[in-house]
Amino acid sequence: MTSPEDAVERARAAAAEARKRGAYREEQPSFEVESATRIGDWRLMEWAMIEPDPSLARSTRRLGAPITWFKRGLLRLLRQYNDDIIGQQSRFNAHVAAHVTSLDDRVRALEREAAARRAHGRDDGETSP
Amino acid sequence: MRHPRDRLRVHQVLCAAGPVDAVTNQGLACRALFDAWGWPGDDAAAVTAPGMRRRAMRPLESFDPPAGDAIVLHYSGYARRLERLLERPNPMLVISHNITPASYFWAYQPIEGLRCSLAVGQLADLARSATAAAGVSEFNAAELRDAGARDVSVIPVLVDRERLGPPADRPPPGPPTILFVGRLAPHKRQDLVIRAFALYRREHAPDARLVLVGTPLAQRFEASLRGLAEQLAPGAVTFETGLPAERLADRFRSAHAFLCLSEHEGFCIPLLEAFHFGVPVIARPAGGIGEVVGDAALRVPQVDGTANGIDLAVVAELLRLAVEDRELAAELRRRGDGRLEAYAHDRTAARLRKAVAALEAPA
Repeated sequence: MTSPEDAVERARAAAAEARKRGAYREEQPSFEVESATRIGDWRLMEWAMIEPDPSLARSTRRLGAPITWFKRGLLRLLRQYNDDIIGQQSRFNAHVAAHVTSLDDRVRALEREAAARRAHGRDDGETSP
Repeated sequence: MRHPRDRLRVHQVLCAAGPVDAVTNQGLACRALFDAWGWPGDDAAAVTAPGMRRRAMRPLESFDPPAGDAIVLHYSGYARRLERLLERPNPMLVISHNITPASYFWAYQPIEGLRCSLAVGQLADLARSATAAAGVSEFNAAELRDAGARDVSVIPVLVDRERLGPPADRPPPGPPTILFVGRLAPHKRQDLVIRAFALYRREHAPDARLVLVGTPLAQRFEASLRGLAEQLAPGAVTFETGLPAERLADRFRSAHAFLCLSEHEGFCIPLLEAFHFGVPVIARPAGGIGEVVGDAALRVPQVDGTANGIDLAVVAELLRLAVEDRELAAELRRRGDGRLEAYAHDRTAARLRKAVAALEAPA
């Protein structure tokens, strides 16, 4: 019998053996979870333009179909007003996102410049005793 | 101040409450115990999701218990207004249900990333000021101690096996079915589950199926997972959400193996549910998973130097062993019963009772 402790070793060996036969080649996955320490600039831009999904206006009650219908009807009636609010918010978001991106670019440029100056200083022997 | 002859009154606060939320279910399970022990009180939530009965969880705005009453705070994420609890004179037990690192969310749901970032500091403030603190696992408890909390214990998640229903009396028929239950969220790495399953299916079981049960964190994230499933195992992966308890039990009963490749879990209740239904478990021992599964799971080994920290071919081979080796599956089931005993409802209830009763002890 394979014990749970032995199973891992058996699986390792079987995988290695199979790989020798050319098995377990994986095609490039279309998606892989990315872990990030901050929101990327392009994502910030993407989210700046808000586009609410009308299908989210729904009732969660058991017999909520008429309520869903009512909510969506209200959305349609208020469309002009909502579009104006969404437009205002999107304009503001876009400006903030663009501003953040330009600040980020400036910081990077300044960091490059500072690094170049430090390297130049070392070339001139400023940091040597 | 409460008169000594009065019975203990225990109130609960949740960061968020929803109809299919694990922490909400814990809050309700605790309330059932408090009622049974003769400890009345109110339950409140900072945020209440649609579909949550308002009678079961009142809004936090209207939460104002008398000064001597005990408060149990189930902490699961940042919520505004929780800081008000710091100003209250009530004895308080903070139970941490884990905070996922924010880095998993920035690319998919930045609001969730913000909540997780803010939660670290908020939990530390609350736990330091509380009378006592507890984690649902030693992993969580260690985080609380690192944050400076005093008197930290471990109170695991309450698992009521009777509510889960009976396990199947024979191995499930049909093609090999692999199951994972958990919110569709980046840290749970369903993308790796799909990739490992696709390798297993291609190399060993062309008719195998994968069932992923869980509420998506974001529509875009779910769409990406569905796209990946269609690319690597077309037609073989099923996504399900919002299953009632009976249908979820059916998913466990028809599963040949439970595969968990999460990179971060505070506890992971579905592991114990898999043990209950006798489903062999293959799990990466990350976060609190290692202590929950003990020796009752096939542990996916860490492989340094790889992008995901694991070898998916080894996972596929472990799936094959779990599905095909009946003696191994039987041994895993036997050990799983031991883990269920370790997390038996009565044992956990006794720990909870001891921790809450200690709140009323005179200073």
